[in-house]
Order: sequence, then C-alpha cells, then structure tokens
Amino acid sequence: MTALLEAGGLAVGYGGPPVLTDVSFRLEPGERIAVLGPNGGGKTTLFRALLGELGPSTGTLSVSGRCASVPQTERSRLDFPVSALDVALMGTIPGRPWWRRPSRADRAAARAALARVDLADRAERTYGELSGGQRQRVLIARALVQDAGVLLLDEPFTGLDATSAARLEALLAELAGEGRGVLIATHDLEQARRWDRVLCVNGRQVAFGEPDEVLTPEALAATYGGAIVTLPPTHPDPTAPHRVILPPHHHHHGPAR
Amino acid sequence: MLEPFQLPFVQRALVELLLLAVLAGTLGCWIVLRGLAFPAHAAAAAAFPGLVLADGLGFAAPLGGFGAALLFALAVGRLAARERSGHDTLTALVLVAALAAGIVLASDVFHSAASVESLLFGSLLAIGPGDVRLAAAAALVVLAATWVLGARWLAAGFDPSAARALGVRSPLPDTLLLVLVALGAVAVLSAVGALLATALLVVPAATTRLFSDRVVPWQLATVVLAAAEGTFGVWLAVKLNAPPGATIAVIAGAVFALVAAGRALAPRATEATA
Repeated sequence: MTALLEAGGLAVGYGGPPVLTDVSFRLEPGERIAVLGPNGGGKTTLFRALLGELGPSTGTLSVSGRCASVPQTERSRLDFPVSALDVALMGTIPGRPWWRRPSRADRAAARAALARVDLADRAERTYGELSGGQRQRVLIARALVQDAGVLLLDEPFTGLDATSAARLEALLAELAGEGRGVLIATHDLEQARRWDRVLCVNGRQVAFGEPDEVLTPEALAATYGGAIVTLPPTHPDPTAPHRVILPPHHHHHGPAR
Repeated sequence: MLEPFQLPFVQRALVELLLLAVLAGTLGCWIVLRGLAFPAHAAAAAAFPGLVLADGLGFAAPLGGFGAALLFALAVGRLAARERSGHDTLTALVLVAALAAGIVLASDVFHSAASVESLLFGSLLAIGPGDVRLAAAAALVVLAATWVLGARWLAAGFDPSAARALGVRSPLPDTLLLVLVALGAVAVLSAVGALLATALLVVPAATTRLFSDRVVPWQLATVVLAAAEGTFGVWLAVKLNAPPGATIAVIAGAVFALVAAGRALAPRATEATA
C-alpha cells in the first residue's frame, strides 16, 4: 500500500538553521497520528511543510494526494459576516481558476461536506454563532470540500466540552475509516494513546511509532523537557495514573516559528 | 423643499454622489472587513501632494493623485500583509509627510494655495464631467472586481494562515484590493477631498457593519446608506450654504454614532434577533 505521507530525514526551517530536523515517518491510509510536542517544538512547522508552504532544507518528503489544514477555530475571525456554508465554500477555491465564481456543483459539494460532518441544518447559520465543536466541524467540512486525503488538525480539541470532543473524535475515526490519513496536533496523552501512531517532536523528531512503544516516560521527558507530572489516579480512568503536561497550552498567535 | 435639486450643479453633484455610493458601498465593506480603514485614509492623504504636483506641472490631476495614492497603498499594504509591527506608525508618518509636502508644494512652489482647501475638503458643487466619469468608471471596476475576487478576499480575511493552505497563495487578489483602495480614494477626492475621503469610503460601511452578518446584504445596505447620507448632505449644504463635503462627513459620523449607541443601549433586542 502506498503511504499518504512519507518523510525521510526531513529538515525544515525558515531560511535560517532548520527549526525541525530528523523527521522520518509514514502515514498510511486510514491512520490517525497524534503529533505531540511543546509549543514552539515544530508542530506548526511540520504542518506547513506538509502543506507545501515550506520546502525541505534537507531530506525527502513525498505527499500523495492533497493535504488540507484544519486550523484552530480561534485563529479565524469569529465576527466575520459568513455562514457555515460560506466557510465550507472556501474549500472550493483551490479547485477553480481565479476568475471563476463558485458554481452550482461547488455549492452542492459544500453542502454535502456540511452534511458529512452532521451540520446540514446549520449551513445558513453565522459561523461565529456556532459552538466551538460545530465551528471545528465546519473547518473539517472545508477540508473535505478540498477532497483532501490527509487532514492536518491543529489542537482541534482545545476548548471543547466532553460531548463535543467525543463527537469530534468519532468523526475523525470515521474519516480515517474512509481511508483518509489524519494528523492531529494535541497535548492530550490519553487521547494519543487511542490512535494508531504517535509522533513526538521537539526541534527534532524524538520518537515515532505505536502509542505503547512511544509514550514512555523517557520519550515524553525528551519531548516536553521533563515538564510532566503524574496525577493521582482519579480522573478520567480511576484505575490508571493520569499523566499531564505542564505548563498547559500557551497559544501564540503570531507567525509560529 | 426640493428646490435645491433643480439647480444643474446640484443635480450633477447628486449624480456624482450616487455613483460614489455604489463605489463606497461595495469597496468600503472590503476596507472595513480587511482592516484597511487607516491605510485608505492615508492613501487619500497621499493623493494630495500628487494632485498639487499634477496641478502645478499641468497634467491630469486624477493621474497625479492616483500615482501617489497607489505608491503609498502598495507600500503600506505590503507591510501590513507581513504583519510587521509598527506599520500603522509608518502609515501615520507618511500621512503627515504627505499633507506637509502638499501644503509646501502648493504654497511655496506652485503658489496654488487657493485650491488647497478644495483639494483637502472637496468641491462637490463645482465638479466637472470628468469627475463624474471617473466615479462611474471606478464604481464599475470595483463592482466587477468584487464579483470575481470577492470570495478570495473573504477567504483571505477569514483566516490568513489557512488561506495560504487553501491555495489562495497568490498575492495578486490582495494587491488588486490595495490598487482599488487607491482608485477609490482618488475617485472620492473631488467630492469630499483628501481629508474627508473616509466619510464615504469607511464610515457608511462601518455603520452598516453593526447590523450585518453577510457580505452581500451588508454591501447593499452600505450603498443605500451612503446614497441617503450623500443626498441629505447635499440638500442640507445648499440650504445652509455649508461646505457639502464636511456636511456629508458630519451626517455620516452622526448616523454612525446614533446606530452604535442604539446597539450599545439595546443589546438584548439584537441578541433576540440574531
């Protein structure tokens, strides 16, 4: 089976010395890969390289099919005068020449994508008035409209309540079940444990493999610089110790480097 | 009551204003949506020394104004697009420099100080057919560009980082938007002048923004509002023998203040209808 993504010894940067090195991993169809790493550790840089915005400074990167990014919803303007359908329609822009307006087929594709993420009845609602989980699913619909084989999600669970998070996780499982590849930047180790592969980055690739192999205290310490604490076994699973990462999310909104 | 509108120069001013309402209603929404209000104001100010130069050297005034405004809009737009901190400071500096250069050129080089006031505040009741043609052409260009590029301007403003990934990578649509801002700034100069350009280009769109949640209805509402403010402004200016550009600006500002105050005082009502 051909991999959707394959990186070998990949290094990427912004003209100066590379900010992320030694990246070697494969994404097969149907796989979900958790991308773990501290803020500034190179997750965003990796995504930008996969999207083709940054060329590899060394190493190889092969992408079969189309990658689409699903950014954090706070990065988009919530006061924008757009409906959910308008946002999904933005996904049709790459598919047509610059002088062409959205066609009837484009609109149908956008509506179908919204129905796919279970938001058909919210198509005409103003994007900023939707809940965080609904906004995230609209952005996924926008990626589906682009007919993307690979979805790159930037901390999609941030700020979602438990119900919305469960719903989003089920949707990601379905999308993977259709043969898509999904890369999910996250800080949640318990979540990463449930997916197919884990990729740890901190300026370089620290580890890549199945969750059980990768999520060791040593690899996590190397990934997060030792800022891990083990909480008493109370939540969410009373039988297992719950490891969390400190400090929690610091979202920088400038151009991430 | 309506006798001012029987005067030929008032009728011409009215035609000019209705054309500018189409221009400002359409372009103004993009200016407000993409955060270009201050660059638009400064582009109009930058056109001022260009107009004085053209006047003094004897070539077409709109050409001089457009050249200066375009140079400025592209330079500032590029800096803003790279999100360089301090580009608004630079905009303010250029704005002041452009005004100072225009005044010095007008009073000490070309000795055309008499026209400075009309260049800065407009001379709506003394416009010529050339001004009307420029307004019509600019309005048509803006409408056509909105029809073709509106979806890209919207996507690029919605989330710039994802817009790159969406394949809206070409800087061309955004550059064209800046060109249109310069064109719009020059087109409104004869009506409201370099210093009051935003009374047409920004204030009506900012007012209707307060109750609009889709682009096209917002633009239609802005065209109607700008036309109404302009018409009332011309009528009032003739009645009171006041400068029409400033009258329109005052009306536009007052309407914005009233609508904003209404929104602030009745948040519950707007939530219920949202």
